[in-house]
Amino acid sequence: MSRNSPGQARPVHRVRGVDHAAFPTFDPNATVRFYRDVLKFPIVHSICAAGWGPERHPDFIHFFFDIGGGDRLAFFYYFGWSPQGDQTAPGDAWARLPHGTPEFFKNSRHIALNVQDEEDLLEYRRRLDESEWPVEMQVMHETIESIYTHDPNGYMLEITRQLRPVTPQEDLDAQLTIAALCDVTAGPAPSMDKLLTRKAELIVEHAAAWEAEQPGRREAQRELI
Amino acid sequence: MPRMYVLQVPENQGVLDVAQQDAGLALDQVGPYVRITSAAPIVIDRRATGCRHAVWYSAVAGLENSVITQHDKDALRVEAR
Repeated sequence: MSRNSPGQARPVHRVRGVDHAAFPTFDPNATVRFYRDVLKFPIVHSICAAGWGPERHPDFIHFFFDIGGGDRLAFFYYFGWSPQGDQTAPGDAWARLPHGTPEFFKNSRHIALNVQDEEDLLEYRRRLDESEWPVEMQVMHETIESIYTHDPNGYMLEITRQLRPVTPQEDLDAQLTIAALCDVTAGPAPSMDKLLTRKAELIVEHAAAWEAEQPGRREAQRELI
Repeated sequence: MPRMYVLQVPENQGVLDVAQQDAGLALDQVGPYVRITSAAPIVIDRRATGCRHAVWYSAVAGLENSVITQHDKDALRVEAR
């Protein structure tokens, strides 16, 4: 059944969030303790599957945790399959990186879950701090506050709350930043200096016209400076 | 002539306030951005802005014929390229 009446065009942007993001685990016991018992994420689905397909696919269990909003975090456990790579190297259950890889790069791949407010953020902090996986950092960024830990598989988990809603001008700024990023990374030796120079050109080209299209913005913003 | 852009959001207000108080800097608006222009190098003292690190190091939105020659815990300095 269509949500839309006949003839009504659907929007261009139709996706509705994360159905599931999936990761391998070699330690389902710890994974279940972390997500179900510590964080209290319900197990909402699992698949027990005999290996199939053209590859030598092992038998596996695919299991899912409810992470709110109808979204799910999922894991694969493969019977008879062992972690790959040098287990003393930085990395996680999915892959190991070369020795000496800095933490910032390893942690760049992570998942961040949203909570409503400070009370909820501190509740998850309390749950983690009482567990085998205490919070490693609590950080106030520009517009968000986050706690971080690593799950039993080495995946970095962030739980974050917004300190204020994202404003329309920040969406514009993001669009101009990424346009500038695509331009400078298409050329030689990309740098922040080149990005900020290109972005200034885009600001001059687009920002005034953007503001003119925002009803009621001009007067409100002028009061700020 | 050094010229830079700062997005007008509450977190950047400290930078804009410090710039506003500097008689050598001219501020005008380009859409939701504030354009800061100066005959001499633009120098913003971080402590005067009250900005925390994450805000301080992401405050510059654009550079026009200019280059950042200092951006550390003490100051931001933007000079003509």
